[in-house]
Amino acid sequence: MSGDAVVTEIDHDEFNPRGTLALILVYFAILVVMWVFMYFVEFLGNDLTVIG
Amino acid sequence: MHIHNYEKIWLVLAMIMIVGFLTTVTYGATAVGIEMISDDEDTIDPGALDEDPRFAEPRVEQVGENEYEAYVVAQQYIFSPDPIEVPANSTVTFYVTSPDVIHGFQVAGTNANTMVIPGEVAKLTVETEEPGEHGIVCNEYCGSGHHVMEGKLIIHPEDEFEMEDDE
Repeated sequence: MSGDAVVTEIDHDEFNPRGTLALILVYFAILVVMWVFMYFVEFLGNDLTVIG
Repeated sequence: MHIHNYEKIWLVLAMIMIVGFLTTVTYGATAVGIEMISDDEDTIDPGALDEDPRFAEPRVEQVGENEYEAYVVAQQYIFSPDPIEVPANSTVTFYVTSPDVIHGFQVAGTNANTMVIPGEVAKLTVETEEPGEHGIVCNEYCGSGHHVMEGKLIIHPEDEFEMEDDE
């Protein structure tokens, strides 16, 4: 592989890793759903709950 | 330092999530009233439970109109009293201790769960709602019979509940 084949040069802000962003948003969505489900449904809905 | 816009997005999302987790736990502790089991209770002599007014005779006692206290002894390999019987829609405080080794006290399938340490009294208050039966399991390895150590919590419908020996 040679380095001669540079077609265009772009700077830091012009490179947009859309796939990475999409993946992170998907991970984030999964975490939010699991968080709501585990705390509000599984944990708070799991009576008897210790209140004192 | 220059940060790419996309990086800003996921840094901010991560921050929001951390704040969200903390808010959720705070909400549970304040609005819902979820408590941790503390070590506030005085220590007792695990060798002399039979001289302790609470644990000499493990039992359920009515202490208020809708309030009950259950004095429970967890020992190799039984819980007493067994079953623990309380009415629905009441407030029940369990005091649990052990004369021998560390046990667990968990009302299976619920959040009522504590460690039972000889010399300490674990105090946990719960509110019973629906009538039903729950298993109680020991979830700390306590010896060769650990796997058979179980009890039962029976929540009776209010109108069918009677204290056995009211004094």
